Amino acid sequence: MLNRINLKNSLDLVSVLVRKELKVRYKSSVLGYFWALANPFAFAFVYWVAFKFVMRVQMENYSVYLLTGLFPWLWLSVGVNRATQSFIDNSMLVKKVAIPRAIIPLTNIVQEMVHFIFALPVFIIFLALTDGMSLYYTWIWQIPLMIVIQFLFVYPMSLVFALTNVYVRDVYYIVGIGFSLLFFVTPMVYPIDMVPIAYRSYFELNPIHGLMSCWRGILMNGTLSLEHFSFTITFCVVSGVCAWLVYQKLKYRIGELL
Amino acid sequence: MKNKIECQDVWKKYNKNNALGIKEFILHGGKKNKNRFDREWALSDISFSVKEGQAFGIVGPNGTGKSTLLSLLLGTITADKGYIRTDGRVASLLELGAGFHGDLTGRQNILLHGVILGMTKEEIRSLTPDIIEFSEIQSAIDEPIRSYSSGMVARLGFSIIIHAASEILLIDEVLAVGDAKFQKKCILHLNKFKKDGGTIVVVSHDMPELASICDIGFCLNMGKIAKFGPIDEVIEYYQTLDY
Repeated sequence: MLNRINLKNSLDLVSVLVRKELKVRYKSSVLGYFWALANPFAFAFVYWVAFKFVMRVQMENYSVYLLTGLFPWLWLSVGVNRATQSFIDNSMLVKKVAIPRAIIPLTNIVQEMVHFIFALPVFIIFLALTDGMSLYYTWIWQIPLMIVIQFLFVYPMSLVFALTNVYVRDVYYIVGIGFSLLFFVTPMVYPIDMVPIAYRSYFELNPIHGLMSCWRGILMNGTLSLEHFSFTITFCVVSGVCAWLVYQKLKYRIGELL
Repeated sequence: MKNKIECQDVWKKYNKNNALGIKEFILHGGKKNKNRFDREWALSDISFSVKEGQAFGIVGPNGTGKSTLLSLLLGTITADKGYIRTDGRVASLLELGAGFHGDLTGRQNILLHGVILGMTKEEIRSLTPDIIEFSEIQSAIDEPIRSYSSGMVARLGFSIIIHAASEILLIDEVLAVGDAKFQKKCILHLNKFKKDGGTIVVVSHDMPELASICDIGFCLNMGKIAKFGPIDEVIEYYQTLDY
């Protein structure tokens, strides 16, 4: 039953589960979807005050730099965090019905992707109005491509964290702390040029930096850096294969561990 | 007739105190307290098969492995030894409201539960009127189900499951929640499902209900098959069983 390949049902399952989550999450709040946008803008404002206004980071277009990184970052970190706990939050779906397990963390990632896609036009318009950010016609293919790439980037690690978290519940806390640290280890609120040259190559090894550089290249200049892009793709492929192997190994026992 | 479910020499053990090895040893000095809820094998040496159009009843004391066996048939857990095969779409009613969300309306939950059971959106949309009619919930269908009584949730859950176009139904003690009239309706419907070639496995402590649905079955005790045969004999055995 778990090996059943029924693509149509699986797609319907993801879409219904994602809609359910979005519906339930914003149902009883007055401003509803506004809060999904308020969160990144509030964060961006705080960082802008701290780093541009107080610490005076020397950089042109600092708010553009900040926001173009922050929205993909939130998809990544919120998605991974929620997905890590997803089997535990949805233990009923693991124990009592026979849906393919990989769909459960997938739902969280798709949900954050939907948030990102809806937020994208809003923050592009915001930046165009406040900072005069240019719009590029190459976005027509670049942005959808990057959305797919980021999905392939986020999902495998989410699946691994979600599975291992069932066996060892500490994974959730490690992921939570890890992403808080990663936010400052990754050039997010500062440009990579500010990192001392001696350490810069280590920062370049961070796959999240590659992903963010792709987004920034596209959103700020309309260009996709081949170097960062190929690094990101490689990471997606490698982590995808690893995640698949881990899934094959760990999926059988999670039903009895929950 | 074709075998829809086959189990051969199935053994299942739960690994207890997983990561707690050392802590457990210090606390309990490595001693194992033996009682019937703490045996090594949850299920041992289970073999049986259920044919098309047959209903199989499982009885036995608490903690004897009945629900474990249903989970194995459903595929949410895997056996340590042995071989299990199910042929066709399996729908389960292992727990009331598994896959329901309290904040969604009855109608939205039909869609949610339907996809979880393996249907496509189109299938569910075309079946929704029938499901609502069978549940007799009527106007409350557009209310959030957290406002439902457990009987109403049971009605909705049961109505969805029997419309799920599955070939195999697994039912774990959930019929008892409905009122007498609804239970009767369910039993009628299950018997019709059987006649149309469906296969059912029921776990229950309600002997008259079992007798009215099942043909054959077994009584489990301590994870082993204690008595296998026609359902009347199994029920009789269970009622005289000392545990």
